[in-house]
Amino acid sequence: MLAIDDLGYRYPGASQTALAGVTLRALRGSVLGLLGPNGAGKTTLISHLAGLIPVQRGAITVDGVPLANARRANPARIAVAPQEYAFYPMLTVAENLACFAAAARLHGGRKRERIEACLAVAQLERFAGTRAERLSGGLKRRLNLAIALLPEPELLLFDEPTVGVDPQSRAFILEAIRSLARQGAAVIYTSHYMEEIEAIADHVVIIDHGRVLRDGLLKTLLSDGPLTVSVPADGVDVGILSRFGAVENKSTKLQVRLADGQSPVTVLAALESAGVPVHQAEVGRDNLEQLFMALTRRSLRDE
Amino acid sequence: MLAALIKKELLALTRDVHGMAALFLMPVIFIIVMSLALKDVYHPPKRTLPYAIDARDSGKAARSLADAWARDHGPAQPLPTDWSDQLQAGQLKYVLVLEPGLSEELELPAFPTQARMRLWTDPGLDGNQFNTLRSEAAGLAGELKARSALAQTDGAPPPTDASMQAIVLAERHAGSGPRPTAVQQNVPAWLVFGMFFVVASLAGLFVQERSTGTLARLHSLGVPRALLLTSKALPYLGVNAVQAMLMLAVGVWVMPRIGGDALSLHGIHWGALAVAISAVSLAAVGLALVLACAVRSHAQASAVGPILNVLMAAVGGIMVPAFVMPAFMQRLAAWSPMNWGLEALLTVLLRGGDISATWPHVSKLAAFAALTWLLAIVLFRKSTR
Repeated sequence: MLAIDDLGYRYPGASQTALAGVTLRALRGSVLGLLGPNGAGKTTLISHLAGLIPVQRGAITVDGVPLANARRANPARIAVAPQEYAFYPMLTVAENLACFAAAARLHGGRKRERIEACLAVAQLERFAGTRAERLSGGLKRRLNLAIALLPEPELLLFDEPTVGVDPQSRAFILEAIRSLARQGAAVIYTSHYMEEIEAIADHVVIIDHGRVLRDGLLKTLLSDGPLTVSVPADGVDVGILSRFGAVENKSTKLQVRLADGQSPVTVLAALESAGVPVHQAEVGRDNLEQLFMALTRRSLRDE
Repeated sequence: MLAALIKKELLALTRDVHGMAALFLMPVIFIIVMSLALKDVYHPPKRTLPYAIDARDSGKAARSLADAWARDHGPAQPLPTDWSDQLQAGQLKYVLVLEPGLSEELELPAFPTQARMRLWTDPGLDGNQFNTLRSEAAGLAGELKARSALAQTDGAPPPTDASMQAIVLAERHAGSGPRPTAVQQNVPAWLVFGMFFVVASLAGLFVQERSTGTLARLHSLGVPRALLLTSKALPYLGVNAVQAMLMLAVGVWVMPRIGGDALSLHGIHWGALAVAISAVSLAAVGLALVLACAVRSHAQASAVGPILNVLMAAVGGIMVPAFVMPAFMQRLAAWSPMNWGLEALLTVLLRGGDISATWPHVSKLAAFAALTWLLAIVLFRKSTR
């Protein structure tokens, strides 16, 4: 549905490009997880999709139509649920929904129907008459979500939609977004929480410094990672492990990320032959966070 | 869509207690307080100022002078022994000392060459009052000297009700317009001040919308920029209209009930009043839109707007009438949009002017409004990119 090809952008007066040749696809019925540390270019990408900044280089198309034309024809086709509480705190939940429904050109019975539907999706019916500023963090996130759903967009972009919410609200929001994709919407989801991306995304794009570092199906990215072997650090010679790959000291454990052609069996055998009894060992693959760290060489929460 | 956005703006405004107070309560309080405080500015309280006379000359002419002074200024208080301290403390507003030789001087057919009367006043006495008392004392002495000179001629003595005062007839010229009072002056002044206070309310919500991404969300929903700006401007033009009606109502109906003069709308040109208020409103909302687009934070919005308003009011003759300012300050006042608004309203409410009479001020306000609205559009386009 959404195709971004070789997108480049430099802010006026900036010495570096914010986006440099970004290419990605968002498909109907699928959730695209967009990962990147602060300053990676996510906000610039979101601003393009929200129609807030023009395309300088490359192309963004929606079903083959340039984004600007698609937005002009039907701006509500693409919805952005920003990271902030993008509504009016002094207005009630119902007043907020009515205001944004009118802004999305919904009228009469259709407007009432969509407001009721979105209240139901976000389970906010009981709070319709409550001022938004008096809602809890989780309810505010749900109102943010409900407003995004008002015009029944075909492409939804959620920017950190679960920041600061309790686990129950987080699970609720993730399930609501997942069901939107099941109903046929194309969803782009950005988050700092790797476990959320692992739980919700079908496809993952990792960007940093305005470039796409990795783009692929979630399961492929996870299975492509190297095997790791972790053993208790006590009494183990790092030199032995380093023959099989990069070793990382993880407090009470040593973890070796196996080089190509190496297997966990040879690692354990080498330790046995060196006289180190191995009572406990863990074999696994990199999770998404480890993959991300390996690619970007910094934490997601770094400034 | 426009109606929904205007409704949102009005709901936000009515739920902002501080904003409502700044827009409606503050100018009402200013009108009441300042009108009562300045109630006598057009009618100086010369008969109510406590004074005493230190008569060190007991001659006939000096006694005549003291009597004549008492007729115009009310009876003198007995001279206390510590009158100097009482003047210092403001308990006595002035003491008129009739020096020895005053009677002799008043009877001489020649101009005096030395002081025979001394006027000592409370150090806090208003400059205009001070000058008035001095002029009155000199005028009364001149009158008595003239009577004495006339009595020494062969002609018939002047009738007792004749006086040099009769030679001048002084009136405030307002054509068919209302009588000038403190209320007539203060209602337009604080109305203009209050109308310009839409700056703070409008900018506050605008900053909030921008910082929370609400504005971006509306924009991404395809709400045109022109519509967004219009939805902000129209409610505040309405707020200005309500303010104007409220302030005029306070002047007409509330002020006389609490001891002030009533605002008189008798004989005013209603069309000119509507034009003047509309021009002030367009200028105020234009300025508010510019500031709303220019400021970047709540702190800026809540500081810049009120500070700018107070400065414009101080410079523009709202707080201190421009005519009492020195010449360079009056030239500065002529650059304040609040001064243009005040002059336009005073032209209608105090001078009975019609639309053409308000035009010099209204045209400046209209030009200012056009400039600020244009600038707001440019800044708004930049801020939503």
